[in-house]
Amino acid sequence: MEFLHFVRRAFVAQFSGPPPRDEFVRHALDAGVGSLPLLTLLTIFAGMNLSVQAYGTFVRFGGQDLLGLFCGVGGIRELYPVMAAVICGARIGATLAASLANMQISEQVEALEVMAVDPMRLLVAPRLWAVTLMLPLLCGYADVVGLAASYYAATEQMGVNGGTFMEQVRDIVHLSDLAAGVFKGVVFGWLVAIVSCYHGYRALKRDGAEGVGVATNRAIVHSAVLCIVLNMFLSALLYVR
Amino acid sequence: MLSRSVRWFEACAAFVEFLCVVLRCLVTGPRYLRETLRVMDLLVRRCLIPVGLAVAPVGAVISLQGAGLFRMFGAESLLSSLLATAIFREYSPALASVMVAAQAGSSIAARIGTMKVRGQIDALAVMSVDPVRYVVVPGLIACVIVTPLLSVLTTLLGLVSGWFFAVPVMGVDHGSFLANLYAQVSLVDLWVGLGKCMAFGTAVGLIAGFLGLRTTGGATGVGKAANDTVTMTIVLILVADYFVSMLLLSLGV
Repeated sequence: MEFLHFVRRAFVAQFSGPPPRDEFVRHALDAGVGSLPLLTLLTIFAGMNLSVQAYGTFVRFGGQDLLGLFCGVGGIRELYPVMAAVICGARIGATLAASLANMQISEQVEALEVMAVDPMRLLVAPRLWAVTLMLPLLCGYADVVGLAASYYAATEQMGVNGGTFMEQVRDIVHLSDLAAGVFKGVVFGWLVAIVSCYHGYRALKRDGAEGVGVATNRAIVHSAVLCIVLNMFLSALLYVR
Repeated sequence: MLSRSVRWFEACAAFVEFLCVVLRCLVTGPRYLRETLRVMDLLVRRCLIPVGLAVAPVGAVISLQGAGLFRMFGAESLLSSLLATAIFREYSPALASVMVAAQAGSSIAARIGTMKVRGQIDALAVMSVDPVRYVVVPGLIACVIVTPLLSVLTTLLGLVSGWFFAVPVMGVDHGSFLANLYAQVSLVDLWVGLGKCMAFGTAVGLIAGFLGLRTTGGATGVGKAANDTVTMTIVLILVADYFVSMLLLSLGV
């Protein structure tokens, strides 16, 4: 209930005029560029692991030539968007929650209100915009890196024919799949941002440092769980015919 | 640049030292069993719902995408083999550990960080209670034991949600689903999964304790410790997972 109220306020703040530009740019850079090293490292290993695991599974019933299909479908449709969202929930979301909770317990939010500045407009709206716009880009980036890693592992380590692999990926992955991945990115980005801002904003002054820890913890867990559950519904909606 | 690498080196050295202290506390007494049980109870209750909610959709998604994929080759009956292998070997251990890292790791780090910031860790030391022994080791043991237990639960949940989306939703035959379910899974897969969980649980407990004890500054430091614990453990889990998969594949298990 309280969460819905927060969502309504944040929504109004988000769409009543453009967000403060400097804040938006700062958060967008932090969320986007700041996540790149972590996301690159994780996607490379997840992509390679996807290939290795799929090979191990398929070789048991002689289907190792279908690796391209599996890596295309499993990776681009499902794994990389969710991974980008969960990683960003753990990094960006936790940072958002910690910084907002910190402002809340050191009374900076109240100070803003006293100065007749709407904290929703100044603090929450730019963060929401930054993460919502950056996560789809990160998803697209993860798609490319992950697919390259899968390709590398499949051809170099498993000895699958590279031409067959790419042909299968081209067969099964259409432009609409990439678009669906980006759409998932937008949804997850907004969700991660709103959940993290909510938990950060709700921190109480009397809890002190503990409140910051609790807010961070809840932001990470809730955004990860919500993204994974929502992914199931989005996939059912987009792909089941 | 130089100061950064010096700081990095210092952190590595501190971690090795921390590791030695933890090892010493593990082999020698006194042991705080009651505290360990309390933390275990807390972790199970805190992690049960997030871990379950995170893994059940994965089984469902594998079924959704896999059914379409296998239907192209008329090999729908193989879907359950894929589901079982993927869940037993890969997703149940990895995802359970990632969620334990997210929930338990960050809350342990935040709790230890809060104690450190408030000076409670120093107070323990003054009372000649070793903080590592009293605060870190129970969390570590709890993580090592709880993660495999949760993984068993998530395996079941993943299979059930996979069945639900394959049989009633996608129209795969119930009989062939069950018949092929365990065709590709051996007992080794189960042990490998549980072993991975114990290893990842150890990593969660160690990193959370280490970063929690190193918290400096005020409330910001607590948030940073919780955040760093989660990102570092997830990196470690995914990287280690890849090497374990490669090792198993080359061993031909």
